[in-house]
Amino acid sequence: MIALQAKRSHRNERIAKNVLRAAAMFVVFAIAVLILYLMTEGTKTFFIDRFPVWKFLFSSEYDPSEKLGGAAIFIVGTLAVTIFAIVIGGPFGIAVGVFLSEIAPSRMAAILKPAIELLVGIPSVVYGWLGLTLLVPFLRTHTSSPSGFGLAAAGIVLSIMILPTVISLSEDAFRSLPPALREGSLALGATRWQTITRVLLPSASSGIAVALILGIARAVGETLAVQMVLGNSTQFPMGIFAPTAALTTEIVIDMPGATQGSFLEHELFSMAFLLLLIAMVLILLVRFALRKRI
Amino acid sequence: MGISAAQKRTVRVTSDTGVKVRRFIDLLATVVLWAMASSIILLLAAFIAYLFYLGGHWLTWDFIFGLPKETTAGGGIGPEIYNSFYILILTLIFTIPIALAAGIYLQEYEQPGIFRSIVQFSAESLATVPSIVMGLFGLLIFVYYFHWGFSAIGGALTLTLLNLPALMRVTQEALSSVPDTLREASMGLGATKWQTVLRTVLPSAIGRMTTGIVLIAGRIFGETAALIFTAGLSLSTNHPYQLQPFRPAETLAIHLWYTHSESIVPDVDRIGNGSALVLLIMVLAFNILARIGGSFLTKRFTGRSS
Repeated sequence: MIALQAKRSHRNERIAKNVLRAAAMFVVFAIAVLILYLMTEGTKTFFIDRFPVWKFLFSSEYDPSEKLGGAAIFIVGTLAVTIFAIVIGGPFGIAVGVFLSEIAPSRMAAILKPAIELLVGIPSVVYGWLGLTLLVPFLRTHTSSPSGFGLAAAGIVLSIMILPTVISLSEDAFRSLPPALREGSLALGATRWQTITRVLLPSASSGIAVALILGIARAVGETLAVQMVLGNSTQFPMGIFAPTAALTTEIVIDMPGATQGSFLEHELFSMAFLLLLIAMVLILLVRFALRKRI
Repeated sequence: MGISAAQKRTVRVTSDTGVKVRRFIDLLATVVLWAMASSIILLLAAFIAYLFYLGGHWLTWDFIFGLPKETTAGGGIGPEIYNSFYILILTLIFTIPIALAAGIYLQEYEQPGIFRSIVQFSAESLATVPSIVMGLFGLLIFVYYFHWGFSAIGGALTLTLLNLPALMRVTQEALSSVPDTLREASMGLGATKWQTVLRTVLPSAIGRMTTGIVLIAGRIFGETAALIFTAGLSLSTNHPYQLQPFRPAETLAIHLWYTHSESIVPDVDRIGNGSALVLLIMVLAFNILARIGGSFLTKRFTGRSS
C-alpha cells in the first residue's frame, strides 16, 4: 500500500519535472524562433531586393515605391528622441532612486512607490493622448515650433515614460550596497550628500548603468506615444522643436499599406530587425555591466 | 609638532566655514531631492485630474456600452471594452501556466548552471524585444504563416510572448521570498519535491504572485503596438460580441489610437477623452485590486499579513 503510494508519487515527480522543464525550454525556443524569423524577413531587403546595407544605414533617400530604402532619417530620429529622453529622464530618475533608497521616510515611500507603479501601468496611448492634448498645444504657443509636434514633445513624453524603469532599478542599485559603506563615510564626518555623491554613487555605478541602459531600451522601442506627438515627417530633425520620424513610428504608419513580399514590407522588416539588434546589444551591455560588479 | 596659536585658529576657522557650507549643500540637496520626488506624485495627480476633467462628462451609459460608429458622431466603445477583456483573459490563460511552470522550474528544480543561465538570458532578451517588433513577429507567424488573418487569438498569443518574461520574474521573486525552512520541513516529513512545491511553497507565495499577475494584467489591458498587426483595427460590425477567438478584435487602447490617427468620425476628441479616461480607470482598478487581492490571499494562505 505504502509502496504503491510512493511509486505513484515518484511517477508524479518525474512527470512534473519534465512538464516544468518543457515550459522553461519554451522560452528559449520562443526567442530563438523570433530572432531567426525576423533575421530571415529583415535581411530580404539586402538579399532579395539587393539594396545595399550601407545605404540602408546611411542614406536618407526613402521612397519605397522607387525601391529606395535609406533609413538614416528614422535611425537618427530614434537616436535623437532616445537621447532627449535619457538626458532628462536619466538624471531625474537616478535622483529619485537615491531619494527612495537613502532619504525617503517610510511614509513618503509608501506614497511614492504606488505612484511609480501607476506610472508604469498607464498605457502608452494614454501618454500619447496626454502629450497630444496637453504638451503639444503648450509647445505650440510657448516655443518656436509652429505645430507643437516634434522632437521635444516626443522626448518629454518618453522621459516620463522611462522614469519608473530608471527609478526602481537605480533604487535597487543603491539598496544593494553594503551598509558599511554608508556608516564608514558618515563616521568620517561626511554629510549625507557627500556620502551619496562620493561614496555611494561610484559604488553603485554599474547598477546605475543598468538602469540607464534599460531606460534607453524602453525609449528605443516605444511606439504609439511617440508616433502621436513626433509629427511624423520624413526629414532629419532640424532643431529640438522640429518634427521628424523614428523607426518604430515609420513601421506603424507604413505597415498597413505594405503588401506581402513588396519592397516596402521587406524594408519595414529590416527596420524591425534593426530594432531587435539594438535591443540585443543593450541586453548584452546589461550583462557586461553586471559582470563587472562581480 | 608645535602648531602656533594663530595656525590653530586658521585651521579651526576654515573647517568651521567648511562644515557650514557642507551642511548647507547637504540641506539644499535634500530639499531638491524631496522636491523632485514630490513632483512625480504631483505629476501623476495632475494626469489623473486632467483626464477626469477631459473625459468625466462623457462617461455615460451610451458611451461605455454603445456600439462604435464609422462615420457619424455619437459612437460608443462597448465592443472595444469587451475585446480588451477578452484578449486579456485569453492571454492570461496562455501566459500563467507557462510562466508559472518555467518560473517554478528555474527557482525550485534547476541548480545554477548552464541551462539555467541560458533560460534566464532568453527570458531577459524576450523582455527587451520592443512591443512593435513582437507585433511584427506575430504578424509573420499568426497572420501570414498560420493564415488566421487578424484575430483575437493571434493577438493574445503575441501578448503571451511579450509578457511571459515579466510573469516568470514575478513567479521567481515570489518563490524566492518563501523561507527555505518551509521546504526543509515539508521534505523532512517525507514529501517529494513536487508535493512540497504544490502544497507548501506555492500557497506561501500565492499572495505576492497575485499582486504581480494583476499588475501585469493591467499592462496587457492597455497594450497597443503588439496588437495593431495581430488583433487588427476592426470589429465585425454585425456581431461585435463574439465568443470565438478567430476574428479581428480591436481593443479599447487601439481604438483610442486608431480613432485619433485614421478615423473620419467628427467627434474624435469625445471618443479620445472618454477612452483615455476609461483606460486610466481600469489601470487604477487593476492596481488597487492587485494590492487588496495580494494581501488577502497572503493572509488566507499563510496567516501572515503580507
